[in-house]
Amino acid sequence: MERTAASKPRGWRDLGARVSMVVPAVLIYAALLVVPVIYAFYYSFTEYNGFPHRVPEFVGLDNYRSIFESDDMTGTMVVTAVVAVVGAVAVNLAALGLALLLQRTNRFNTFGRVVMFYPHVLSALVVGFLWQAILGPQGVVNTMLEKVGTDSLPFLSDPDWALWSMILVIVWSLFGVQLILYLAGLQAVPADLLEAARIDGANRWQTFRAVTWPSLASTVTVAVITSGISLLKTYDVVVSLTGGGPAGSTKTLAYSILAVSFPQRDIGVASAQAVLLIVAAAVLAITVLVLRRRAEDDAESIG
Amino acid sequence: MTMTSARRGSKARGAALAAVVPLFLVAACSSGSGSAGGEDGEIRMMVNLTDNLNQAYWEKLVKPFEDETGLKVKIEGPTGKSVAESFPQQLAAGTAPDVIQSIFPDDDTAPELIDLSGEAWAKSTPMFDEYAMGEAHYAVGVGTQTQSLVYYNKTAFEKAGISEPPTTWDELTKDLGDLKKAGYTPMQTAGDFQTGLQLQQIYHPTLNQLHPEWQTAVSDEKLSVGDAYEPAFHLYADWIKAGYINKSDVGLSPSQADGNFTAGKVGLYTNGSWFAATLNKAGDLPFEVGVFSPPAADGKEYPGPQGATMANPYMIRKGIGDEDGAKQLVEYLVTDAKAVEAQLGSDGVFRKGSQREQSEVDAQIQGVLDAAPALVAVGEGQGNVRLPVTGFNPKFTEVAQSLYTGAGPADAAKSIDQWVDENR
Repeated sequence: MERTAASKPRGWRDLGARVSMVVPAVLIYAALLVVPVIYAFYYSFTEYNGFPHRVPEFVGLDNYRSIFESDDMTGTMVVTAVVAVVGAVAVNLAALGLALLLQRTNRFNTFGRVVMFYPHVLSALVVGFLWQAILGPQGVVNTMLEKVGTDSLPFLSDPDWALWSMILVIVWSLFGVQLILYLAGLQAVPADLLEAARIDGANRWQTFRAVTWPSLASTVTVAVITSGISLLKTYDVVVSLTGGGPAGSTKTLAYSILAVSFPQRDIGVASAQAVLLIVAAAVLAITVLVLRRRAEDDAESIG
Repeated sequence: MTMTSARRGSKARGAALAAVVPLFLVAACSSGSGSAGGEDGEIRMMVNLTDNLNQAYWEKLVKPFEDETGLKVKIEGPTGKSVAESFPQQLAAGTAPDVIQSIFPDDDTAPELIDLSGEAWAKSTPMFDEYAMGEAHYAVGVGTQTQSLVYYNKTAFEKAGISEPPTTWDELTKDLGDLKKAGYTPMQTAGDFQTGLQLQQIYHPTLNQLHPEWQTAVSDEKLSVGDAYEPAFHLYADWIKAGYINKSDVGLSPSQADGNFTAGKVGLYTNGSWFAATLNKAGDLPFEVGVFSPPAADGKEYPGPQGATMANPYMIRKGIGDEDGAKQLVEYLVTDAKAVEAQLGSDGVFRKGSQREQSEVDAQIQGVLDAAPALVAVGEGQGNVRLPVTGFNPKFTEVAQSLYTGAGPADAAKSIDQWVDENR
């Protein structure tokens, strides 16, 4: 009895300590992430210029309607989707391929990892300006092409070329983080399984497909979701590499929010675009998780 | 036992502290009074920072004012891409500066600004009345920036057998052909913001001869932007097709385009009077630079009206701590002889009656300005002559760029009209 009575206050104290450890993080998270998102939802149903003297005016779904009825904005959403899907696939293929090449620890591979991670250290704005100087009409590549008597290539002056050039640059600047994730994931692949596969006579591709790839499932999930979300938010590279051009062909949703809607003081439309971006990120994350869960279930049912 | 409970007590206090400190931090971060002036005796001024107008330039400009009044002026660059983008964001965030340079008032920002109509010193400043909104005056400036200028390479003209700058569109098109035959890039254009700007600049005189105060006509729904600009889209599309304008220019940065002109590879280059500052800084060029006003509309008098903007506009935010100090600062910037002279020389700014020594290019621009029958509003417009939309220039650039990427003039006209309708 005495022990129970004594343990109660201690239990309360422990609970109090636990709560007090968690509450600050929850409050900061709520203040910096949840509250702004709630505000974005609220503003997305209003017409508002963001100025203190104006009161947001409720307009229902008008902002969403105007987004989906505008060719300009639907075009922007298509560009964002292409950048996110193609970019995520390319980033992860490049990162996984390089991780497989660089997974053994030796001096060359250590140097290689540093070199491959280096682009991620650069600011995205700097990356854009750097590649502008390389791919621009008077950039390094076109100057060299002209010197050898070949026609220059419209990397940044043709709408299709500009979009693919931008995706290439974004992939180059992003894949360093995914590379680290895959390198870490590869370290966790059980050595005994790899050994067993080798003893069973599996070749490299069979070992990768039957042992490495399933062991990397959670890493792939994280890498695809994080890269996809980063790509959905593409802004800085657009500003410094293409400025959204030519003719608006590389405008992403994030660029449209920050460089078009906000300067036009269309806070309602900007917020509606931001809400759509949040929804797109959530759909992406849930889709990847569901696909992974389904793959795991299939594997278990076969097993 | 005692030690354990003491440790536990200490843990609990630590945990409580950990809980409370972030709360204070969050509270501190979120507490905004809406008035974000500088410290006591300090006036915050947001300015446009460029290669010509850098931080050191601005600090040097306000130094005599600081010495005389004892007030401190804090020069701030935009927190975003530009002052136009940053000022509304800062207003919304409650961190806007006291004095704002380089942008003009509009319907959204006007209620946040001080009306300077009652200030005697403001009335004699350049373009004061042109920028009136109703009866109110929110912006005062230092001079005039001329927008519709065509810079040309006199050596290229000689080699191409062109004796005089063109005054009609037919003459200009013929000259472009001759320049191409002579081995020059006939007309230099650029990507980024400059594509749309240059198209507007070269067409201002004609547009304002055909549709005086066209922005007001669009506001009153008597004219569409597409109808107003379609002839200009045709000209550009034809020139691009003929190779007088390089398609790849759309991916070129404005500074690279400047460089091509100063290197002597180019015949014609449309730009504003601020390009004179770049030319003056470039020193000795391998050719002589000429300047002329763009062609007039067919059958109309040459030269046509000149697109012009108030140069170095200053506005003061309402509700700031030291309103008098901010007014004194702005008065100093737009009326003090030395401050005005410094600004006139910095970025291709012109002012009637100025005694500043001019370069040869400056003198030619002054000649174009003096010969212009009228100074007209450009782009989105100014004061009471304005389009019913904001964000016109970036969208116009997008549409102008579509001419380089295969769109026809009619498509371009339709596209800009559609955007105006969506955003009216």
